[in-house]
Amino acid sequence: MLRYSIRRLLQSVVTVFIVITLVFLLMRLLPEEGYFGDSYDKLTPEQREAILRKFGLLDPWYIQLRNFYSSLLKGDLGTSIIYRRDVPVIDIIKIKIPFSVSFGLAAIGVSLLFGLSMGIHMARNKGRFWDQIWSAYVVFINAVPAAVYLLFIQLYVTGLKYRGRPIFPMLFDRYNPRSWILPLISMSLGSIAGYAMWMRRYMVDQLNQDYIRLARAKGMSDKQIMVKHVMRNAFVPMAQYLPTSVLLTISGSIYIESLYSIPGMGGLLVDVIQRQDNPLVQALVLIYSSLGIWGLFLGDVLMAIFDPRIRLERREGAR
Amino acid sequence: MTEPILSVRDLVVKFSLRGQILTAIRGASLDLYPAETVAIVGESGSGKSVFTKTWLGMLDANGWVDSGSILLEGKDLARYRTEREWLTIRGKKIAMVFQDPMTALNPLRTVGMQIQEVLELHHGMRGEEAKARTIEILGEVGIDMPEARYDQYPHEFSGGMRQRVVIAIAVACNPKILICDEPTTALDVTIQAQILELIRSLQKKLGVTLVYITHDLGVVANVADRVAVMYAGEIIEYGTVEEIFYDPRHPYTWALLSSLPQLGVKGQPLYSIAGTPPNLFTEINGDAFAPRNPKALKIDYVKRPPFFQVSPAHSAKTWLLDPRAPKVEPPETIKALQAKYEGYAQ
Repeated sequence: MLRYSIRRLLQSVVTVFIVITLVFLLMRLLPEEGYFGDSYDKLTPEQREAILRKFGLLDPWYIQLRNFYSSLLKGDLGTSIIYRRDVPVIDIIKIKIPFSVSFGLAAIGVSLLFGLSMGIHMARNKGRFWDQIWSAYVVFINAVPAAVYLLFIQLYVTGLKYRGRPIFPMLFDRYNPRSWILPLISMSLGSIAGYAMWMRRYMVDQLNQDYIRLARAKGMSDKQIMVKHVMRNAFVPMAQYLPTSVLLTISGSIYIESLYSIPGMGGLLVDVIQRQDNPLVQALVLIYSSLGIWGLFLGDVLMAIFDPRIRLERREGAR
Repeated sequence: MTEPILSVRDLVVKFSLRGQILTAIRGASLDLYPAETVAIVGESGSGKSVFTKTWLGMLDANGWVDSGSILLEGKDLARYRTEREWLTIRGKKIAMVFQDPMTALNPLRTVGMQIQEVLELHHGMRGEEAKARTIEILGEVGIDMPEARYDQYPHEFSGGMRQRVVIAIAVACNPKILICDEPTTALDVTIQAQILELIRSLQKKLGVTLVYITHDLGVVANVADRVAVMYAGEIIEYGTVEEIFYDPRHPYTWALLSSLPQLGVKGQPLYSIAGTPPNLFTEINGDAFAPRNPKALKIDYVKRPPFFQVSPAHSAKTWLLDPRAPKVEPPETIKALQAKYEGYAQ
């Protein structure tokens, strides 16, 4: 178990390293105009060169890479060049984190609660009325692009009025709790469908196993079988991708944050990509991809905790 | 004879499959007596498993008992509908050992816990007491170092060891009737013998009634006191092991025994039963085996035969035993067996 975790950890470190390097190198391929902002036309070639030199962009790529790593190890992600000129990237991101994390945690709570119970409910009523109703919901969420139904929610639900006044405001306002509801629902709809679908699938998988038959034959009630055998076993494959999903949700929804103008990391990413603030883009992409990799790592460790069969070499139970 | 503990009468079980009705069990009857071992033999699809599953209310959701009765201690299980009713039977009165030990145990729970939960369920044991008894049972089914094995998971056990654990679960139930559904089919031959021996010794020790489902006649000769032969959802002949092996009366039993390789004559092709079992979606008139029986009588196609008694323990469902029936000679191999039996009886 410990050896497995350590090996998995080392693998993750290597993966993060590769991703960081790739992101850095890809950023070097972007056109240089981005570094001059709006003033590109007003600058003389000499001034442009001076700016590029200031950012260290005239050095060969491997020197740049080395410089990047040495400052990264010191915790320095560079400074913003356009979004807020000369402000350290870390300071900009820092004030965004609380919004993303609190929305994310709330969304995770809501989607785990509703998603898992929906999945359990579907599995227990497999093939019957409620299974089909919830399946329709899952299919809808997966088949319709999120942009479509999220826009519909924003457009039409905000149109609902009570005594002539809108119930839900269209944009986020940190001092008005009612404006938190729609973004929260929007964030949860997708993951509820995801959790429900997987939970149902894994539970149905378990229900068809021989050992469920034996458990019934030895006189356990359906309820006992559900709790002691089915749910726990169904949760193991879920455990694998839960941390990824949690980490990516708390790091902010790119689309929903910009839709409702929530000042979180997701909205920031959209913003700085549009404005070509390369150091900020780079830093955010690093954060998102590392979170993804740590999520996978935690998922594997979590699954190993739940499933005694798992060692790195042999993974018969993993799917 | 003593009172039967389980008495199944004219059981009819149907399944609905793709909008059609399949009759899997067509009026099967069987009595089980205390502490005996009955083997139910028959080819695949003859309904052996379905027949016994109805005693536990474990038919698949698309199947139901259409008519007939299953009497256990004065109660008719054929009328049981709710889970609550079945929970008074499953494990407590009747337990089951399944075919494939590799998948019969929950891979994520320790072996000990899977046995212990039965003790907690049926005998109200708790904590240390339950654990101690679990370890004791593990030892009884022939698992070395049971204390260490208690905390292990099924993947740390071999196939034969897992079957021992499954049997331990059945033993922990302490049922009146234990159904073993081809418990050795998935195991290799040396292990098969060990598991058979284990089942036999436990049966003696616990005095449980054992029902052994198999299509391996070698196993039958080894374990059973009585044999019931099943064909197309009916029990067509039953009797003691000696009676069935040495004095079979139903043409299907003749055919079944003739196809044993051990009884073949050197240099001649092995016997096999021509044709296929009947389609259970359509209603079968007369003797279900008639279309595959070259010596079938005319009445075999028209009217279903009743049971004719051969001896107090031996009956067969064939018109050949009717006093009016013409004399039909059994195949040579069977005659040889009968001759042997007469010699043996005298």
